[in-house]
Amino acid sequence: MTDIAGHLPHRYPFLLVDRILEREPGVRVVAEKLVTAGEPHLQGHFPDRPLVPGVLLLEMLAQAAGFLEADSLHGRAVFLAAIQDARFKAPALPGDRLRLEVALEGTFGGLMKVRGTATCEGREVCTASLMVKRS
Amino acid sequence: MTDLKQRVKEMIIDRLKLEGMTPDQIEDQAPLFGEGLGLDSIDALELVLGIEQVFGVKIEDEASGTQAFRSVEALTAFIAEHRKA
Repeated sequence: MTDIAGHLPHRYPFLLVDRILEREPGVRVVAEKLVTAGEPHLQGHFPDRPLVPGVLLLEMLAQAAGFLEADSLHGRAVFLAAIQDARFKAPALPGDRLRLEVALEGTFGGLMKVRGTATCEGREVCTASLMVKRS
Repeated sequence: MTDLKQRVKEMIIDRLKLEGMTPDQIEDQAPLFGEGLGLDSIDALELVLGIEQVFGVKIEDEASGTQAFRSVEALTAFIAEHRKA
């Protein structure tokens, strides 16, 4: 069982990964996030129709990408450096179990590029390429 | 070599989505980063991936990158040297 809080410095309400299902550092990570109606950002987005903001889906993929690193990210600076070809194909709603898959495309000069896909029960919710700066 | 240089320029334009730019507009000697084409570290990673995909050449570390990214001419020479190795 991967120690999520031991690996990522993020905390409530911004820790957006609940579980790591598969992990091969430097290659591929599959993580999980369970969406619940009690999450603070869903209170206003939207009051009558809660759905996960697209930018948070990207953040979930970025946090999942943090587990491509073998070592803990505590005490290290990690930033999103680029988002490319982001597509939001279906809404993510309370009750959804989101599967976050990220695969490493390459690294250079302290940056890593990953291809990310968020799905729910086989349907694609979000796909994007992300670059993350490590230091 | 001239042909390869042309393909390197096309790869740069394609990979970095430099829309409206033609290979002729990229000078052989101009630096790719900072002045010259004005690329940044995000573009550098894109180029590393493009070079691997199109030419099958890996740029493993920053030292080789610094050398290869001095100019289109330097990059072409780097690719020509490592392509068959």
